[in-house]
Amino acid sequence: MNPISRPALAMLILALTFLLGPFIVIFVAGFSADETLAFPPTSYGLRWFGYLFGVEAFQRSFVTSLVVGAGSTLAALAFGVPVAYALSRYDFRGKDALRGLLTLPLVVPGIIVGLALLDLMVLVYALPVTLGLLIGHTTLLIPYTVRVVGSSLSNLRSDIDDAAITLGATRLQAFFKVVLPNIRGGVAAAAVLAFITSFNQVPVSLFLTGPGVSTLPIEMMAYMETSYDPSIAALSTLLVLFTIAVVAATEKLLGISKYV
Amino acid sequence: MSYLRLEKLDVAYGRAAAVHGLDLVVGAGELVSLLGPSGCGKTTTMRAIAGLLQPSGGRIVLDGQDITTLPAHRREMGLVFQSYALFPHLSAFENVAFGLRLRRLPAAELQPRVAAAIAAVGLAGFEQRLPAKLSGGQQQRVALARAIVLRPRLLLLDEPLSNLDAKLRVQMRAELRRIQRELGITMLYVTHDQDEALSLSDRIVIMREGRVEQDAAPEAVYHSPATAFVAGFMGYDNLFEWRDGALHAPDGAAGRWPLQLPGPAAHAAWRPEQVPVLAPGNGLAGRVLARSYLGERIEYLVETELGPVKGVGPDVAAGWREGDAVSIALDPARAALIG
Amino acid sequence: MRSRIPWWLLAPALALVGLLFVLPVAALLAGAFKIDGHLGLAHFTAFFDEPLHTQVYWRTLRIAGLATVVSALVCYPAAMAMVKVPARWRGLLTGLVILPLMVSPIARTYSWIVLLGRNGLANSLLVGSGVFDEPATLLFTEGAVFVGLLQLMMPLMLLSLVSALENLPPDVLAAAQTLGANRWQSFARVVLPLTQEGLIVGGTLVFTGCVTAFITPALLGGPKVLMLETLLYQKVNVASDMAAASVIAVLLLLTTIVVNQVLKRVSR
Repeated sequence: MNPISRPALAMLILALTFLLGPFIVIFVAGFSADETLAFPPTSYGLRWFGYLFGVEAFQRSFVTSLVVGAGSTLAALAFGVPVAYALSRYDFRGKDALRGLLTLPLVVPGIIVGLALLDLMVLVYALPVTLGLLIGHTTLLIPYTVRVVGSSLSNLRSDIDDAAITLGATRLQAFFKVVLPNIRGGVAAAAVLAFITSFNQVPVSLFLTGPGVSTLPIEMMAYMETSYDPSIAALSTLLVLFTIAVVAATEKLLGISKYV
Repeated sequence: MSYLRLEKLDVAYGRAAAVHGLDLVVGAGELVSLLGPSGCGKTTTMRAIAGLLQPSGGRIVLDGQDITTLPAHRREMGLVFQSYALFPHLSAFENVAFGLRLRRLPAAELQPRVAAAIAAVGLAGFEQRLPAKLSGGQQQRVALARAIVLRPRLLLLDEPLSNLDAKLRVQMRAELRRIQRELGITMLYVTHDQDEALSLSDRIVIMREGRVEQDAAPEAVYHSPATAFVAGFMGYDNLFEWRDGALHAPDGAAGRWPLQLPGPAAHAAWRPEQVPVLAPGNGLAGRVLARSYLGERIEYLVETELGPVKGVGPDVAAGWREGDAVSIALDPARAALIG
Repeated sequence: MRSRIPWWLLAPALALVGLLFVLPVAALLAGAFKIDGHLGLAHFTAFFDEPLHTQVYWRTLRIAGLATVVSALVCYPAAMAMVKVPARWRGLLTGLVILPLMVSPIARTYSWIVLLGRNGLANSLLVGSGVFDEPATLLFTEGAVFVGLLQLMMPLMLLSLVSALENLPPDVLAAAQTLGANRWQSFARVVLPLTQEGLIVGGTLVFTGCVTAFITPALLGGPKVLMLETLLYQKVNVASDMAAASVIAVLLLLTTIVVNQVLKRVSR
């Protein structure tokens, strides 16, 4: 095998530094104990981490983000897994159109979705904001669940469902007893991907949140408009660690990397 | 007069040394095969000669020029890969023309040369086809044409026929030989198939774990294997140590069979065809373990004091059955004497 | 394989996406074409009459295009190096490249605020080494938005190219070498044509990602360097100009679709 050429290796290292350097910057800034944001920090400490736990807006919005994230992930799985199953086990006209339709939420810029839902749900029907967030996020996540679970299903031969049926199971029983256990990894991967996407989501949530109900990213951005202290750096550090923990844990437990 | 010379070549592959102190000489116009089991270093040697791998020691000399550190794209050698490595986005014509286009050959010269190479491999009419639309044998021929159109100083072929079915393989073997003779190209051929090596080569180099076991003409390798390994590889299924006037069972087992050999040897070997299986009392006693009907003859696996022995039955119609008591005739005159 | 449409499996998802996504979005987009009850393009002309708007649109396309080109130039050699990395390290390397994609864009963008702010790293170095007398304004410039978006989108290009390179037929590069091609010729005549689909996919992801970005332009560009989505936000929240907002929504969608289609044709 040809060894890696020097310029190519240099570019790879450059790219990696560019992509990962910022994380180091955030970590260092998060541990700053300065009054305002300065880099490099003149003093270090856990001061701003402590501060975070006292900001009510962050606490509240974190909980909202978790609730919306979990709720929309479950909903997206509940809606999306049957679709993935239908696409993999059934052959009907309009499959491509269906796939196209379900990919739309990925294509349409989130901010448009948020604005449209704002119009519909909040302004016209005066629905509670949290419900609006849930609906908006679920719609956004369905393409992910369909795609990831779908790829996992396609690796699972369809004759095992039939085998279960000849042994006396109904289609529903076959699904839960035979298919689901074998696509656990794919479902887990889809769930993690969906949850993280929802948690980090900003454009869709932008118009759907208001005073009182907000997601964590939105609160962060609002805070950044007025304050320039390193608390956001500390919060970002926590978010990065949170993400790494979630992904690493799922990878260790279920080996999801092959499904993404 | 050596055209290609490898001197004490060392090539590392991964963390292991794949080739150790290899010496090899190929004369102009010769077809030499590198034969051996997978992992013996034959492909590594070939890639080092092509410049795709860097040797960690030794020299490669081509036509008097030391090319050990010359980059691959300047060595002017042709390499036909086991996977053919045709460019999928180019037609057969463009694949063959690739090297000529790099050398900026004017169209007036390029067109007829490419056409001639394609015709030489018997693919006239297929010029515009993409590799995906060609059969395995056709792809292999395009790969060959692509290499020879450049009139390389040396043509290297890395198991080019191993992906073809048996019948096609035999056909292509003859084609390769014909083309090599016609063009007088010096060829180095890597294979793990002894029939291929025997039928194609002017000389065979048997390799094992990065070293040369024997380097000789096909007849010599076939009839006079130099080492026990070569004998085993070339089909001498019955291989025994010989000392103190007797054959000894392999792997230090206790059995022995007294036998005088025509000359000094450390091992004696017989092919199954040279070992008749007879009625009891006519030689080394044994019991039939298994029989295989091979069309022309029946091959028997016989358990003896010297371990399992493979022999053939004298009569196709009648024959021994599993469990029969038989005897094995080991004729010292027909033995291959090794060491 | 069954042939009847399994409505009961598809209905919930279809209902959600159809009623609560397609319809509202279509209604919003339609709003761009409705003036006083009938159809027309007056909103569009009014929008482009304002030079700021045209400037924002052009800026968005420009930055997106530049980010796409730069990421391609950097990621091609990086991807070629990455596919040659020994298997032991590949998994870790891939994980490191995917990780940024999973981290909140706010956190990723925030690092640039840390780096480019008045007291940030860049200014510390520039002022400390005497190049400038006082901190330069690096934030809220087009450069800041460009760099932020580039960093955000680059993993998409890198992963796309790595995937394409992995699908190269075996030995094709070695064959090119033995036929006399040097590094550059091997790349231009063999690697590039055979991986162009990966390049197109990566390019589409990066370009549309930049055009439809909100967080990075909002944090790094602010009200001074507006991009399409931050402009839209301003129209809704500050100016209450829903007509203009709808126009921008249509523009965003149109640009995304056009770029997708054009790049699809190019790859044929």
